[in-house]
This record gives sequence, structure tokens and C-alpha cells, in this order.
Amino acid sequence: MEVWVLFGVFTLLLLIGTPVAFCLGIASLATVLYMGLPPIVVFQQLNSGMNAFAMMAIPFFIYAGDLMMRGGIADRLIRLAAGFVGHLRGGLGQVNVVASTLFGGISGSAIADASAIGGIMIPQMEKRGYAKDYSVNVTVNSAIIALLIPPSHNMIIYSIAAGGTISVADLFTAGVVPGILLAAALMVAAYVVAVRRGYPADPFPGFRMLAYFFVAAVPGILLIFIIFGGVRSGVFTAAESSCIAVIYALLVTLFVYRELDWSGFVEATLGAVRTTAMVLLVIGTASAFGWLMAFLQVPQATIALMKTVSDNPIVVLLLINVILLVLGTFMDMAPMIIICTPIFLPVIKAFGIDPVHFGVILILNAGIGLNTPPVGSVLFVGCAVGKITIGEAMRTIWPFLGASVFVLLLVTYVPALSLWLPAMFR
Amino acid sequence: MRPALAALSRILAAVNRAALWVAGIGLVMMTAFIAWQVFGRYVMNQSPSWTEPASLLLMSWFILLGSAVGVREGNHLGFEIALHYATPGLRQIMLAVTEILVLAFGCAMAWYGTVLAAETWSASMPGLPIPQGMDYVPLAAGGTLIALFSLEKLVCLLLAGEAVPLVRPDEPHLVTVKD
Amino acid sequence: QTTLRSADIHPDGYPTVEAVKYFGQLLDKKTNGRYKVQVFHSAQLGQEKDTIEQTRFGVIDLNRINMGPFNNLIPETLVPSLPFIFRSVDHMRKTMDGPIGDEILKAFEPHGLVALAFYDSGARSFYNSKRSINMPADLKGMKVRVIQSDLFLDMVNALGANATPMPPGEVYSALQTGVVDGAENNWPSYDSFRHFEVAKFYSLTEHSMSPEVLVMSKRSFDKLSPDDQNAVRETAKESVVKMRELWEAREKEAEKKIRASGSQINNVDKQPFIDAMKPVYEKYAKDPKVKDLVSRIQAMN
Ligand code: NA
Ligand code: NA
Repeated sequence: MEVWVLFGVFTLLLLIGTPVAFCLGIASLATVLYMGLPPIVVFQQLNSGMNAFAMMAIPFFIYAGDLMMRGGIADRLIRLAAGFVGHLRGGLGQVNVVASTLFGGISGSAIADASAIGGIMIPQMEKRGYAKDYSVNVTVNSAIIALLIPPSHNMIIYSIAAGGTISVADLFTAGVVPGILLAAALMVAAYVVAVRRGYPADPFPGFRMLAYFFVAAVPGILLIFIIFGGVRSGVFTAAESSCIAVIYALLVTLFVYRELDWSGFVEATLGAVRTTAMVLLVIGTASAFGWLMAFLQVPQATIALMKTVSDNPIVVLLLINVILLVLGTFMDMAPMIIICTPIFLPVIKAFGIDPVHFGVILILNAGIGLNTPPVGSVLFVGCAVGKITIGEAMRTIWPFLGASVFVLLLVTYVPALSLWLPAMFR
Repeated sequence: MRPALAALSRILAAVNRAALWVAGIGLVMMTAFIAWQVFGRYVMNQSPSWTEPASLLLMSWFILLGSAVGVREGNHLGFEIALHYATPGLRQIMLAVTEILVLAFGCAMAWYGTVLAAETWSASMPGLPIPQGMDYVPLAAGGTLIALFSLEKLVCLLLAGEAVPLVRPDEPHLVTVKD
Repeated sequence: QTTLRSADIHPDGYPTVEAVKYFGQLLDKKTNGRYKVQVFHSAQLGQEKDTIEQTRFGVIDLNRINMGPFNNLIPETLVPSLPFIFRSVDHMRKTMDGPIGDEILKAFEPHGLVALAFYDSGARSFYNSKRSINMPADLKGMKVRVIQSDLFLDMVNALGANATPMPPGEVYSALQTGVVDGAENNWPSYDSFRHFEVAKFYSLTEHSMSPEVLVMSKRSFDKLSPDDQNAVRETAKESVVKMRELWEAREKEAEKKIRASGSQINNVDKQPFIDAMKPVYEKYAKDPKVKDLVSRIQAMN
């Protein structure tokens, strides 16, 4: 009954147009009142859900993206990228995917990836005649690559949730091939859609212009190397790197390009506050909602039901994937990993599936869930950055979602894609 | 009635502006703190322990103040399909229900944020010489502002018969995002 | 029949989780099935700071927690967390099982918690990716990750290292990339967090033996009849024996695995480290209650 109150109130409010953050919070509050628990727990969870150090990457990357957009860094980067691959059909779509893969190698956070790449690419793609829904969809779907390409703090969360019996080094390595596969699949999807829509293929600018574009873009490119090199060589953590990005972007726009004036700075700051607050309030209320789901043992009940259905590993994996996809529509990444891992791990071990392999499946699956409403933080960020509605994005997301699900199935049923590389390193 | 409402609205607009600016200053300070953390570790060879809790505290402030601003400006994401297709009367009811519930949620947030702050006030925060309860003050302040702003919207909706200006059911969109 | 809900940040199968489950089975038997215990492991209900508040508010009934989060609130909890306060695990167990332990347990009561028993978690030692630690000087200039606690911060800084507070989820990659050079923990955590893969030098300084504690919400406890209250208290103490068996098995298993993995492990002469702790004791053992407890512990055989 409590579960019905939770989901019933949530659905009802969603239908009457209540903002998602409040749907989650009010449904949690209603359930807690119905159960006679102290309502204080809802607000405690709301607060702690948005209060993690790793979350700081969200405001910082949004802020850095805003500064790069207004300060001329983005313009020059895109001009260079367009020079390189702009002569291909839907070239900027391809650039977006590659850039997401690179950034994913730096940040490990899909939300940060979507806000940083989206903040730069989406306005540029719009200028070049790409529809916003296309740009947003390429951005949000390729942002998921960040979860698979190391470093990924979600892999560490999984390892800890699994009781530390799984090597993080193995998990990191296991994500590489599926990450590259996902990038390739999304590039194909971006190409096919671009051809259908007749997106522009710019003329090749010639090598002299290319060199000129490159020199102009060097300060921007340097940032990627500073972040990448800084994190890889241990100068700073991934969360700290997002702050360095803000400082660096500020310095470049102030002293090199000199394109950011006081009002531009204020606009960037206040804009970043608005976007960040929106995203993190949803994460906060989703944590309260997730806490109640754990308290009411919703995942456990789901799995008990599933176990009565089949004992074939192929069917079980498919079922697990479907359940994870459904849970993923409602839950955020970290709570989902934490709640589902202890429950699914014994099941998959019983069926002889490697826990490292399952980790990749879980992360990719939860990642796809970040692009599905009602609780799809990456999709929300993408829509907020691109200033389009979730409905508009959803209408044309299917080729990209399809490519992701295709890769998910491939990764699920071909264990070697995840397990071959870690075995090579052992 | 109307001049009084308009005056109140002007005051709340100023409060909104102030909250947004405080939040923005919070973001700038947080950037400075984390930069100092990295700087301290390398240049001074000493990691400041206050930067992490202080930045988290600032983050709470600017998220919750920003959320309240979002309520007034209608920035929060939602599904507005049904609003779009509803009759004007029904739409009025749906909007009113949302505002009443958000108002109640804001009040609860303010109240329980205060209780949480009071209950944890006696312990000091690790890394910072301030009470642990400070962690929950943003919740209390943000909740108060959320309640205040949704009350304003509710009053405009019911008494003045104005549609909440930032939900624009006449435009074919599901989400209101303002720059 | 009433189900008591209990929280733990450790995963299923971890000694503390299994011990609370065992406590539940005993309680079930003792109360003729009137009380059962359900363990929410793996931080399902949140991190320790959150679940401690949930316990105080009566949202959940039981909680297995570290003493660290209470150090700023209950001065007595500082005592067993002080570096090198115990000479050995035996000394620690003897202390915590006796009247001193009971005194510390009682100190939780004014804060809405009934502390039932100590679940000790071995000794914490330093590990790093640079070199074996034999003297405090070997730690000089090293960036060492600590939990967000003033006491641990001051302890590590007093040894000449550069203490870097960091949440647990970031430590592995921080060690790997060199954001920090080392950290400190007990055998099972050095193993289960996989830090031995990226920090190969484990030096047995055994600087902290701070035990963990099983607490009950005072609101839940007051609802029980006096007989049931006694049953809960007794059963908790009984579960400690089981907990220690499980812990020792886990510790041995972890040690065996790490020794086989090629980590460099060395024993340490503790005296220079103990000498370096003077300023820490001066700062934290100021409170007369704390001072008294410290001298009584040190006077024990
Ligand atoms: Na990554
Ligand atoms: Na989702």
C-alpha cells in the first residue's frame, strides 16, 4: 500500500504539471506521513542527496561551459572542429560524440559531460542550422560514454556496493571497449539522422585556414590537455578539475581573447546558478524518493517476482536489463547502483555471470536511464542547456536510444567485450 | 487589493533578485575555495581542511536559493502536456493544486530544516569551527522563500485571476526554461 | 511481531552486518519471536551521518556506526579514537568490555541513542605508493588521505605528513593518479577498497583501534518493556563474541590475500610515533572527563 501512495501521488502530480522536483518531494512526504514516520527524514535525505563533494562537478562544468560560450573559447574550438570534419555529413554531430568521449575521459560524470559539451556544442550547432532536438539528443546520449571510459566514480561505487570483491582496476579497463563501441554506434546514428534531415556538409576550408583555426583554438584545446593531464598525472581530482576549468576559462576569456565583460560574467554566473539549482534540486528530492524505495524494499520485491519467472541465464539477463531500464527511468545513478548491486549480484553469480561483466551492464543500463524521464538528469541538463522541452527531445531521441540499447544488448550477450581487455592486463 | 498586491510583488521581486545574487556570489566563492584547495596542496604544501565543508555549505545555499528563484521564475522542469490540453477552468485548478502543494512543501522544508539545524547545532562541523546545524540553515531559508514565492503565485492566480505568468499554456511546449 | 530496522554502511556478508543479523536471531529466540531485526546493509538508507540522525529521530531502530561522527558531540567518544591509546587489540578489548567501556556507552544516552555494545574493527595502519614507513620522518611531505575528522587530521599532520581529507569513493583513483600518496585503514578495508592495488607499501603502525558501536534509537528503546530492554542489552553483548570471531576470520583472509598479492608489508617500532603524538593529546585530552579516562586506560595492565 505504501508503495502505491509513493508512486500514485508521484504520477498524479506529474500529470497535473507539477515540476518533477516537487513531484518527487511531495510524493515522498505524502508516503512518510501515510506511514507515520517522522517527515524530517525526507528533508534530511533531500539535503544529503545534493551535498556530495563529487556533485560539485555539476555546477563547475555548467559554469565553465557558460563562460566558454560567452568568452569566445567555444566559437574557436568549434570552428576548428568544423574545419576538420565539417565536410562530412552532419559533421558537428560527429564532433559532438568525439568531444564527449574525450571529455568523458576527463570527468567520469555524464551530467558534467552533457553540460560542458552541450553548453559549447548546442548553440554552435544551432548557428550552423542543426535542429536543437538533434543537437540535444547527440549530446545527452554521447554523455553516457563518460560513464564507461575511465575514470568513472560510478564503477568505484559499484565495487564498494559489491562488498569490495571486484577489482576497480578491472572494472575501469572493462569499460573501455564498450565505451568505444557506444561512441561508434552513436556516430553511426548521428550520421544516418543527419543524412535523412539533409544537414549541411561545409566545404573543406583548405590547410592554411585549418592551421589558422588551430592556432586560434589553441588556448581552448590546452584546457582539455590541462584537465586530462592534470587528472591523469594526479595534480587534481576529477571534481577539482571542474573548478580548474572555470578558473582557466575565466583567465583565457579575460586576458587572451578579451571577449568577456562584466555583464557577460554576471550573466554567466547567474545563468549557471539557475541551471544548477534546477538539476540539483531534482537530485535532492530523488534521493528522498530513492530512500523510501529502499526503505519499502521496492527493488527486492521486484526481483523476488522476477526470480519466479525463469531460470535461464539469457532470459534472466534480459529480465534484469528490463527491470534496470524501468527502475532507471525513476531513479538516479548512484542510488540505483547502491540499491540494486547487493540484490542482483547473488542472482547473477548463481547463473555464472562474471561480476565485472555485470558491472559494465549495470553502469551502461543505469546510464541509459539518465536519458529517460521522469527522472533523467542528463536529459534534463541537455534540455536546459539547449532550451528545448523534454517532449521535443523525446520525439526524436529514438535512433540514439536505439543505438545505446543495441550496444547494451551486445555488451550483455558478448561477455568478451567487457572481459577481454582486463584479461590482457592481468 | 490590486495596488497592495502589486506593491507586494515588487518587494518579492527584490527579494528574488537578492537571492539570485547571493547564490551567484556563493558560486564564485565556491570556485575560489576549491582553487585554493588545489593551490594550497601544491604551492603551500598543506591541504586546507576547511575548503571541502565550506564549499559544500555554499553549494547548499546556492542550490536552495536558486531553487526558490526557480519557483518564482518558473524554471523548474515539468511535464505540461495535460496543462496544455486542459480547459481554462481545469487548468486554473491544476495550477492552483500545484501551487498549494509546493507552498506546503516549502513550509515543511522551512520547518524541518529549522528542526534539523536545531537538533544538530551543539556539535561542531568537522574541518570548520562552526556548528554542524549550519548545514541545514539553507534548507530552512530556501524553504521559506519557496513558500513565499508559491504563495505569491497562488494569490495572483486565485484573487487577481491572473494566470501564473511564467507558465505559458498557449505555447506548444512542455518545459519552461528561461535564460 | 515487531521488526526492528537496522542500518550499516558495510556490504552484506561483512562481519558487522552478519553480527547484527546474528543479534536479530538471538533476540527473536529470546523474545519468543516478538522481535525481529532487518539489516539495511550497503548504506541503502544513507551514509553514517544520515542514519545516525534517522536513529535519533526514530525513523530506524538500530544502527552500527563508527565513533568518528560523535567526536565533536560526545567528548568521551574521543578517548578510544586517540592514536596509540591502546597497546594492543587485547588491551583495547579488555578496556571496552569493562567499566570504562560502559562509561563511554552511557555517554550516548543524552543524545537520543542507547549504545548497546562495541564492535571492534582491528587496528588501522598507514599504506602508500612511495616507500615503507619505519619512522615518522618517512611520512614527511607525503600527502595522506584521512577521513573528515579533526582528530585524524591533526594526528597525520603531527607525524609530518600532509593530511588530505577526502570522501571514500575518491580515494582509489586519487591513490592511482597520485593526488594523494597514501591513506590509512585496517586489513579488511585495505583489501576490500582495493587500495592494495595502487598503494603497495603497508606499514603496520597500528595507530588507531577505534571500535565501532551498535546503538538503538532511544525512542524505540523506550517503547520496549523493561524485560525486553534487558533482552536487547544482553543479546547485544552476546553478539560481540560472534562479531570478533567473524572479524578475525575476515582479517586473516584479507592479510593472506594481500601478502600473496605482492604488497610490501613491514612492522614498525611504534615509540617514535607515540612520541610524536604529544601535541595531539595536549589538544584533545583537555576535557577533565577525557583526561581521566585516558590516564585510567594507560594505567591498565
Ligand atoms: Na569517464
Ligand atoms: Na531516468
